[in-house]
Amino acid sequence: MDRRDFIKLTAVTGTSATLASCGNSEHQLIRFVPDEDLVPGVAEWKPGVCPLCAAGCGLSVRVMEADVETVRNGQAGVVKMGVAKKLEGQAGHPISQGGLCARGQAAIQVTYHPDRLAHPLKRSGARGAGELKEVTWDEAIAELVGHLDALAAAQDQKSLAFLTRPRRGRRLALAAEFLNRFGAPAPVPFELFGEEVLRRANAISFGHEQLPTFDLARSRFVIAFGADFLGTWNSPVAQNAAYGAMRQGRPGQRGAFVQVESRMSLTGANADQWVPVKPGTDGVLALGLAHVMLSNKLRPADAAGRAGAAIDGWSGGLADYTPARVEQVTGVSAKRVDRLARELVELGPAVAMIGGAPLAHTNGLFHALAVNALNGLLGAVGQPGGVFFTPGFQPSVPGPQVPSPQALQNLSAKVLLVDDVNPVFGAPKAWKVREALAKIPFIASFSSFLDETSSLADLILPDHSFLESWVDSTPESGALEAVTTVAGPVMKPLYQTRATADVLIEVAGKLKSPIALPWKTAEEVAKSQPPAPSPQSPPAARSPERLALRKYSEPVFDGDAAQYPFHFLPYMSQQFGDGSTAHLPWLQEMPDPLTSAMWSSWVEINPQTAERLEIAQGDLVDITSPHGVVRAPAMIFPGVAPDVIAMPVGQGHETFTRYASNRGVNPIGILAPATDAETGALAWAATRVKIARAGGGNGSLIMFAGEMREHPHEHETR
Amino acid sequence: MPHKWGMAVDLDRCTGCGACVTACHAENNIPTVGPAQAARGRAMHWLRVERYWEGDFPDVRLTFRPVMCQHCDAAPCEPVCPTYASHHTDEGLNAQVYNRCIGTRYCANACPYSVRFFDFFNPQWPKPLHLQLNPDVSVREVGVMEKCTFCVQRIRAVEIDAKAEKRELKDGDVKPACVQGCSARALVFGDLNDPESEVSRLSRSPRGSKLLEDVGTLPKVTYLERQTQV
Amino acid sequence: MSEASARKLGDDLLRPLLRTSWRFYALVAFLGSIVLTGLCTWAYQVYNGFGITGINNPIFWAFYITNFVFWIGISHAGTLISAILRLVNAGWRRPVTRCAEVITVFALMIGALFPIIHLGRPWLFFWLIPYPSNRQIWPNFRSPLVWDFFAINTYLTGSVLFLVLPMIPDFALVRDKATGVRQKVYAALALGWQGTPKQWHRLESAMSIMAIAIIPVAVSVHTIVSFDFSMAPVPMWHSTMFGPYFVAGAIFSGIAGLIVAMAALRKFLHLEEYLHPVHFQNLGKLLLLMSLLWSYFVFAERLTIWYGNESSEVAVLNVTQKGSFAPLYWTMVVCNFVVPFFIMSIKRLRTIAGCVIASFCVLIGMWLERFLIVVPSLGHKYLPYAWGTYRPRPVEIIITMSTFAAMTLLYTLFSKFVPIISIWEMKAGEHPSPALFPAATREHALGETHA
Ligand SMILES: Nc1nc2c(c(=O)[nH]1)N[C@H]1C(S)=C(S)[C@@H](COP(=O)(O)OP(=O)(O)OC[C@H]3O[C@@H](n4cnc5c(=O)[nH]c(N)nc54)[C@H](O)[C@@H]3O)O[C@H]1N2
Ligand code: SF4
Ligand code: SF4
Ligand code: SF4
Ligand code: SF4
Ligand code: SF4
Repeated sequence: MDRRDFIKLTAVTGTSATLASCGNSEHQLIRFVPDEDLVPGVAEWKPGVCPLCAAGCGLSVRVMEADVETVRNGQAGVVKMGVAKKLEGQAGHPISQGGLCARGQAAIQVTYHPDRLAHPLKRSGARGAGELKEVTWDEAIAELVGHLDALAAAQDQKSLAFLTRPRRGRRLALAAEFLNRFGAPAPVPFELFGEEVLRRANAISFGHEQLPTFDLARSRFVIAFGADFLGTWNSPVAQNAAYGAMRQGRPGQRGAFVQVESRMSLTGANADQWVPVKPGTDGVLALGLAHVMLSNKLRPADAAGRAGAAIDGWSGGLADYTPARVEQVTGVSAKRVDRLARELVELGPAVAMIGGAPLAHTNGLFHALAVNALNGLLGAVGQPGGVFFTPGFQPSVPGPQVPSPQALQNLSAKVLLVDDVNPVFGAPKAWKVREALAKIPFIASFSSFLDETSSLADLILPDHSFLESWVDSTPESGALEAVTTVAGPVMKPLYQTRATADVLIEVAGKLKSPIALPWKTAEEVAKSQPPAPSPQSPPAARSPERLALRKYSEPVFDGDAAQYPFHFLPYMSQQFGDGSTAHLPWLQEMPDPLTSAMWSSWVEINPQTAERLEIAQGDLVDITSPHGVVRAPAMIFPGVAPDVIAMPVGQGHETFTRYASNRGVNPIGILAPATDAETGALAWAATRVKIARAGGGNGSLIMFAGEMREHPHEHETR
Repeated sequence: MPHKWGMAVDLDRCTGCGACVTACHAENNIPTVGPAQAARGRAMHWLRVERYWEGDFPDVRLTFRPVMCQHCDAAPCEPVCPTYASHHTDEGLNAQVYNRCIGTRYCANACPYSVRFFDFFNPQWPKPLHLQLNPDVSVREVGVMEKCTFCVQRIRAVEIDAKAEKRELKDGDVKPACVQGCSARALVFGDLNDPESEVSRLSRSPRGSKLLEDVGTLPKVTYLERQTQV
Repeated sequence: MSEASARKLGDDLLRPLLRTSWRFYALVAFLGSIVLTGLCTWAYQVYNGFGITGINNPIFWAFYITNFVFWIGISHAGTLISAILRLVNAGWRRPVTRCAEVITVFALMIGALFPIIHLGRPWLFFWLIPYPSNRQIWPNFRSPLVWDFFAINTYLTGSVLFLVLPMIPDFALVRDKATGVRQKVYAALALGWQGTPKQWHRLESAMSIMAIAIIPVAVSVHTIVSFDFSMAPVPMWHSTMFGPYFVAGAIFSGIAGLIVAMAALRKFLHLEEYLHPVHFQNLGKLLLLMSLLWSYFVFAERLTIWYGNESSEVAVLNVTQKGSFAPLYWTMVVCNFVVPFFIMSIKRLRTIAGCVIASFCVLIGMWLERFLIVVPSLGHKYLPYAWGTYRPRPVEIIITMSTFAAMTLLYTLFSKFVPIISIWEMKAGEHPSPALFPAATREHALGETHA
């Protein structure tokens, strides 16, 4: 039965009479006939895809019957229908392998969020004032069609822009096709913690413009530079599974693991050796390791292949990277460099990883190339226990994936469509995204929630939740085999929402000069396979300048070192990622794994630094960069270097539902608009700050844990 | 022989990711108490990942340890309960019968692991968050004590299915939500009375020990210690 | 005893019953309003959920259980002390026993309310009562909370009997003096007392048996209350000395409570001629003894824990002696040891005023002692990740205060309706017969005041 054909079965007269007598006539209870044959109390399991990060974990969704208050054909009532009850990792799925991360577990709350937008909305007051009125889908689509027709009439199709999260599956392909046929530029992707630098480096070193996959389960020694691969980076669920196997999956063989970073991440907490380095110098350590291997003839120089060729001085044995010099630059002792290099070779198969902060410096590409070369030297490329590239991966839209300030600021668009992305929150204030959007005459958003960006929209056409629509994902990493997951809706929509793909198709058809798209429904879009990957031409042929040798250049930090003595390290939060899941109450109340904080923002300060500045746990601290100041409670954090100040990203939303609005602060606000010199990617770790105690605690730091040490008194008396 | 359910936690696999914490919330209708109550020490996590710092920068180390009800064979929470709301089942579970609980909170004091949580208020799920509730698990009202049940509803479901299908349970048939969700496979659940089960095998591991063994609670959760680089 | 002095005695001691001033009504109204506020606050707590208290996840017991232990401790003032004094035939006990026994009954009633107030679902409190429910489920007899139920009820029953039995002859006396409704009520209460030798003999035998029986009951009550703690494997709770330590503390606070009550009675009911400084001095000496005994227990407890250096216990020790609870801890030491020791061991200071000051300190100190037993341990159990701290909220403070008002109110009302000093025992003290009751020593002879 089509869900639009629901018949109103009975008005439960007894109930409505009682309610009516309470003066609540609009609460009359209408029962609709269920249209599914679920057995009450018996669960069904349906496949799905986790939408919360690019990893594309396969889901098994537990579906059971429940009474749902809903609106059918304009009539409010109650229907028994199958609803999702629990998300689990799909057993046998190559990425999730039966597991999920905490965010994936909580993704169900996206669908059931009490502040989800239930119907199309049109702005009725000043932009951003939050005055929105409900409109019908017909009105909403007519409005959007009208604006597009106006562009077409003015021969100004180029002024249509589409802002999106990168790698959004086939739906992004639809958007790209739509724009292309309309005559508008390609979608503009935005992602705060983008990995463009690493993709570029991989293209240069290995010919794959793609994130890597690691065969940890068979590694014996892993060295990771900044990559929080067990927490948030790349494909955490797949990497956790492989990590477990690396540690205890082989009887008698336990893989060893070294983490290099300046603030202990969840991943660093698991390392056998945790090596703090000076920010922006990771590649020097990597090359120092290579130097020891080459100069001691532990590995032949040509083992690194094209990855080595991209490094200046490689053929000369990296004379500039002696352990002594590495110690000078990175702060890691020469002895340790020597020992690590020998361990890497002796305890192989070994593999090196890089990701996150090291690549978010002005010299980011250098670090990535250095680690790639190290992997080449270790013989880890494409070898068991090494680094791989998932075959067959094709980005859903070709072209630049780099979110650049230029791309965002120069949106000289007249009509902007925003799909599942929140740059007003996620871009440094210095990028002036809010100002850029203010100049755009018409903005339409497909958002399910009012966030900083969608609240600026003139029209909101809320998407279905991922459980209510066709979803697909072709992750670029996480498995050694090609993976595409396509899943149908696991439940009927709760509200008057529509799949964005369907909306785009409908709009395309309703234009004065309709656009013919190759798909008729969202289902067809999800099910359509990406075009077969074109045989990859060697990048050298594509762009010879990429093979220019890379020499270490000092990282450039924004802010004078004397005035701003601390490196500022914003990092992706285990709960909130880049902030896009801060609205889920389970994640807000989940104790942060390292600090146990809940519902909070905080700034991590080394205990000695805090003592010197007379800052106590929970005290309010002003963190000032040349671009602004944020105030957050202090978290005394033994795992952060004395000259580094770290802050999780994700809180500090101005508008993002009842759970995240006005909670904590957003550290992105004070970032410098620095970029990696070669790729133009945001160098989010290149800002310097100063800190000052701004007063005692105001109770905004909420912690689950009582003590941070297991034997606090022993630590005191030591 | 009845089953004797137990768990093994491999601290060398556990990465502290916290997926198990959220999985437990999702499975067991554990309320979110909100920031104001959380600030007052009322957050409920039947399963928590304890983290402890050791040493000082730069020689600093962090350890994680997931702690849930240990389903002690000599559970201090049981004899003190005046109403038998906290009691031992034939299958070795420390069961919590919410309807019998009158909220003395004595059991929570007596539990050396501090894994029992009290409902200070009636739980709230602003609609339609209530749709996420698991119909197999009762929602607890104000004034009662609650805690990890080893996902008894999942145990029962599997037992009933097996009985209907006239077959024996196999090792691995029962997966509590936390075990199911842990991608690092740090958590293993099963029958300790089956010497061949994975959990039995791991519980005999030389790396294994019980938490607060000297308190004499005879816990059924075995922790396999984190190893160091060889 | 002369007719005149007997009449004076009757007049003095019955005066409060027969004459009522506006001050009485004012006091009752004042105390009553506080008690009413407490009851409303409790209703508010039940209605809104237990969450409006300051209790939180590691600290599941705090003010209410402190009050429970405190009031049960205070209850040891009366019955136990008066039973001991009766058994050792201490002549000076006569004016003291009844006002002491009343404290027991009321303090027990108030104390026994707290286990109900502190329940998460107080409307189901009757599940603690041993009866087979409709599903034939009995309470769990292994639970110390169920032991509490028996212990407190036994003690309460015994104490009520112990209080009421010797009141019968006095009720008869009021019956004989009063008129109207009052006469009828007291006639009923007097249970047909005629003062025949047979009745006297029976009363005396009953009192002797009760005096012997009530002592182990009293000792067991606070031992069992201590078991609420020592049976749980909680650092610094799990102690073999908690039984005697709690009983000593109970008697200690009980004596302090008695001294304060006696001083109030003496002043407000003008009983200067009956409650002499020597009574206070004697009780003061007892207070000193108990202070020393209490301090010995605390010292022994803390020393062994410090010396034993078991980490979970040392954590609790540290947080009380030098951590966040230290101010409360050292206040307790001053109140329970320093002040009583100095005031009571210096004869010149052992005046009524001195005794009252010392007793007030002891009451504060013993309340703090109970708080410091309950809270720091719960906040510092074995796993430091789960440590926590506690702040009381207004509900708990209001309910706590209102129980002090309730005690005062009940005491006021009691002394309004029952002679607060046993008239016939006083008379017996003046009289060599009946033989079972020893004569008062010279210094306690009626009407004379002694320094
Ligand atoms: N507490 C309690 N429990 C009981 C009983 C009791 O007395 N008290 N009685 C027991 C007995 S005897 C019985 S028979 C069962 C009944 O138990 P159920 O069969 O669960 O009965 P209802 O609650 O009436 O639920 C029937 C549902 O069917 C839907 N419905 C109505 N018409 C149609 C239709 O044409 N097609 C479809 N597909 N659905 C329809 C309605 O939405 C309604 O929600 O309950 C048993 N359980
Ligand atoms: S890693 Fe986590 S958030 Fe990302 S897709 Fe997998 S489950 Fe979802
Ligand atoms: S899910 Fe597994 S790895 Fe993650 S914290 Fe829990 S037990 Fe550890
Ligand atoms: S861990 Fe605590 S709650 Fe669980 S059985 Fe043991 S004592 Fe009881
Ligand atoms: S709180 Fe409930 S389960 Fe715990 S002892 Fe009291 S009645 Fe028993
Ligand atoms: S076994 Fe079930 S109830 Fe216990 S911690 Fe795991 S998920 Fe929670």
